[in-house]
Amino acid sequence: MKTLNIIERIEGEAKLVCTWKENKISDAQIQFLNFRGFEYILNNKPALDALIYTPRICGICGQAHLKATAEALENIYKSINEPLYITDKAKLLREIGLNIEIIDSHIKWFYIFIMPDIAKLSKEQKYLKYEALKGESWRKGTYAASESIKALAVFAGQWPHTSYMIPGGVMSDPTLFDIITMQNYMDQTLHFLEKELIGTDIEKYFSFDSELDLDTLNATLSDFKNLCFENDLHILGKSYNSHITLSDTSLFESGRIEVKNRLLVDLSLIDEKDINTFKINEQKKENEYTWAKTALYNNKPYETGPLSRALISNRKLIKNIHKTYGDSVFTRVMARMDELINLVFITKKLIKQIDLSQESYIPAKIDLKDIESATSISTVEAARGSLLHKVTIENAIIKDYDVITPSVWNLGPGIGDKFGIAQKAIIGADSIEKAHIILRSFDVCSVCTTH
Amino acid sequence: MMKHKPKIVWLQAITCNGNTHSLLSANPSRFELLLNTFDFFYHPSITTEKTLDDVLNLKEIDFLLLEGAVTSNKQFYQISDSSVTDLLKKVSKKSKYIISVGSCASYGGIHAKFEENSDIKGLQDTLNIVELKKLKQPIINLTGCPVHPEWILQTLFTLKEFGVISLDMQSRPKDIYYGLAHHGCTRNEYFEWKVEAKSFGHKEGCLFYEEGCRGPMTHSNCNRILWNDVNTKTRAGMPCIGCTEFDFPRDNMLETKKNIGIPSEVPFGINKRAYLTITGVAKTFKIDRLNKKLIE
Repeated sequence: MKTLNIIERIEGEAKLVCTWKENKISDAQIQFLNFRGFEYILNNKPALDALIYTPRICGICGQAHLKATAEALENIYKSINEPLYITDKAKLLREIGLNIEIIDSHIKWFYIFIMPDIAKLSKEQKYLKYEALKGESWRKGTYAASESIKALAVFAGQWPHTSYMIPGGVMSDPTLFDIITMQNYMDQTLHFLEKELIGTDIEKYFSFDSELDLDTLNATLSDFKNLCFENDLHILGKSYNSHITLSDTSLFESGRIEVKNRLLVDLSLIDEKDINTFKINEQKKENEYTWAKTALYNNKPYETGPLSRALISNRKLIKNIHKTYGDSVFTRVMARMDELINLVFITKKLIKQIDLSQESYIPAKIDLKDIESATSISTVEAARGSLLHKVTIENAIIKDYDVITPSVWNLGPGIGDKFGIAQKAIIGADSIEKAHIILRSFDVCSVCTTH
Repeated sequence: MMKHKPKIVWLQAITCNGNTHSLLSANPSRFELLLNTFDFFYHPSITTEKTLDDVLNLKEIDFLLLEGAVTSNKQFYQISDSSVTDLLKKVSKKSKYIISVGSCASYGGIHAKFEENSDIKGLQDTLNIVELKKLKQPIINLTGCPVHPEWILQTLFTLKEFGVISLDMQSRPKDIYYGLAHHGCTRNEYFEWKVEAKSFGHKEGCLFYEEGCRGPMTHSNCNRILWNDVNTKTRAGMPCIGCTEFDFPRDNMLETKKNIGIPSEVPFGINKRAYLTITGVAKTFKIDRLNKKLIE
């Protein structure tokens, strides 16, 4: 038997075609049928305009694209041996900005996009608070997200769609009172996490070393855990358990894990394939069914995102949960929430490190227009995983721009008999509702997947 | 007795979802008031109980909001198997008010730059207004990339209370777009006395002369209502890129186009020669205060 479902609420939509055998999914095809052509749009545009364009690839992770563009253009200078000097202040303001965007994204994703679906698996009255639009917890989640993003607007001017990062630094020049305002908003976010999500203070949370510790609490995470275990979500959703993270930050380490071995990453081994992907102005071939491409490392599929980052940088609680439950829905979602908690904690520290006496921006000595031809790569940790930008410019005009988003790693089609990451995870599910939740556990962003 | 709550249907076409996330970042109590006052019947990212089929089965929609540019080309874009144009033609006939949310829905915006699909445009260029029998006033364009959440709220509440709002030549609510992004900018004094920003990354100086700021030529009230309740791009140090105007995005948005050192476009409604004369005079005043750091 075959079924076809349209999946909404993934920043766009996708089609899920499942083949069923003995009431379980035996094959799954994820189709992304919409395409906006950003890489085509960027061609022949002035290089600095990419700072305005790429954040608009995605309304929820624009800061990740902005940082990737700014740093790709900085790496152009590096490639001609004229590196720009970026002050620590500018570096901090970029990382803090990106962190706040990820914090906002994780809160929204959990309370708006996945909890309403998971809560629906149960008929118990107490889970009605997670219902979309009406539920008390849903509303508290949106409240907390919009309050936390203010911390970014304080120095970036607005969110979404600001382009305050630029090769050479950042455009803003915050005051000490701006810094304290940012701290205040982060403290409010932390308060929300302690009260609503965890149910205890953060110090106690950091002492947790197993999911059993959640049982003593009464908050969203314990509800989430109970719902997962009642519905086998701690068993379902397993993929290859190979993980990759492409860049380092204060919280994350780059690397990859394959069969428990931690290894280094060599960016030159990344390849983007389009065997199953539609082509522009070409007759559709039989095997082409999606606009998503496939990202591979050394010809193998890897998962990217909060679970991969938690495992590679050795975060205790997630490492322990992963030991027992592998890369299940439960582990994957817990990793994203653990990352949220850690990000708020570390971002507060980073804000305090800003030295306001440093410059925000130091202009380049060489005009981009005087660089005849150069190519460079940048990598950034976005909410959904590793993002890669590769740009070629000629006299400050873009000649080629390639973007590999996290969702291309996680949601791109499998090649031949090798399933894609999410595809493999869905196989084995016994209901379409659970298949949707498994897919959602990757924090699907349809617009990013095809861009 | 339950009062009638006007139905909102929000559809998405070619979009990055930036307007949705702008709405979700609204002032929380304002957002709650919106949810309590209106029946938020359908939004592809937010609602869970209703489907697009439920929307198609509705007899009447009070407010149809569209985010994203429109195309009839199913090869590049479709919504639940339907072309964007076909879907909108069906749904618009049921609607009392139609609002294009954002520059993409209004003019095609950034997505219209995808030339391989030559059929990307705004909503008002797609629908035939004569066929929209239920429509109570022309299609409203809430331009901006993205739209400020207050613009959505104010427009919806005004239409609910007063039934009609006045629109400018480009079908934008005059109440939002009567002024310029420049009004309320904390750098205005630098603009008046022609003190240029030394470079990016400073609180001091105006971004109009070198950094490409379009504040004096862009209709919007960003600097009067503030973003996320706290700030704006120009206050923070990022030039206005004119995202509420029909010609967004332009080329070289972060630099000021000049002829022999003079900005080739001058503030809205001012004769160029007159502007240059005033500039010359203003520059003769060496105002010490404006050439110093604000915080030493």
